Amino acid sequence: MSCERYDWKAYAVGELAVNECREAEAHAASCDGCRGELARVRLTLETLSMLREEEVPRRIAFVSDKVFEPRWWETFLRPSFAAACVIAAAIIMHGYMTRPPAVDSAAIQAQINQAVTRAVADVQQRNADLETQLTTLYVKSTGIKYQ
Amino acid sequence: MIFREVEDRDLIAKARKGEVEAYNLLVSRWEKRVFNYLLRLVSNREDALDVSQEVFLKAYQSLPKLDDAGRFGAWLFRIAHNEAFSMLRRRKPEGEMPFETGTPVRGSELLPIELSLAVERALSRLSEEQREAVLLKVYQGFKFEEMAEILSCPVSTVKSRLYTALDLLKMTLAPAILRGES
Repeated sequence: MSCERYDWKAYAVGELAVNECREAEAHAASCDGCRGELARVRLTLETLSMLREEEVPRRIAFVSDKVFEPRWWETFLRPSFAAACVIAAAIIMHGYMTRPPAVDSAAIQAQINQAVTRAVADVQQRNADLETQLTTLYVKSTGIKYQ
Repeated sequence: MIFREVEDRDLIAKARKGEVEAYNLLVSRWEKRVFNYLLRLVSNREDALDVSQEVFLKAYQSLPKLDDAGRFGAWLFRIAHNEAFSMLRRRKPEGEMPFETGTPVRGSELLPIELSLAVERALSRLSEEQREAVLLKVYQGFKFEEMAEILSCPVSTVKSRLYTALDLLKMTLAPAILRGES
């Protein structure tokens, strides 16, 4: 049975201050119980030290390796990507807001037809007027009534 | 040790400035310790390797948040602890780690490889918290205060876990002659 005052586990794992170590050692020299307890703790630690340290089976990836590259969603968080998105959105919005009104092809066709009809009527009217003038001139100059 | 600490500090400063090779060197230096710690904690080589990879990735991403480069080791192991326990939580339901008292080992009769396996077995019988306290103190050599930082708990809790674990291991591992058996 060891004395409660001395913390032999803390001693064995190197957690006591230098002066505490000296005091504990001086005590152990004259106390069988504490010597026995210290021996058991040390033996346990020695046995634990027999555990083999394992080699890393394959190397941990380096920063330059692919595993350190950002995940796909992290790409969206990059400032350059975010800036590109904002610019692209601005271009699309601008294009949407300033585009010409929708084209109604039927209305245009109707307008064209109307204009053509008007033009044909004008030409026919002009031809009729010209023919009347020519007839008048002919009658005046020849005295013969044009039939 | 002090020289090594200064070197780590220097590497961390370089890594923070974007020098990839400096961080790669840090990985090379710490990977074996981190891997062995995780291996004993999660008891599976592939899991330990996967978690090690995550630890170094997280550490790299969090490097700007490291306040004191001189405490890189404790900081790195804190990440390792968090990663290991979140993996363990995912892997099995809470409180599923019964403590078993195994057959005592007759150390004087065992070969080193057998002794190593016996230690491994004895460690696996501890609770996760007790085992981790042993790993951090006995195998990684952290001070109680650093362990408290890694585990986010008071020093008194760290000591209590370690001392209970050592008592249990003493029962399991101590050669029969020291326990008064013939």
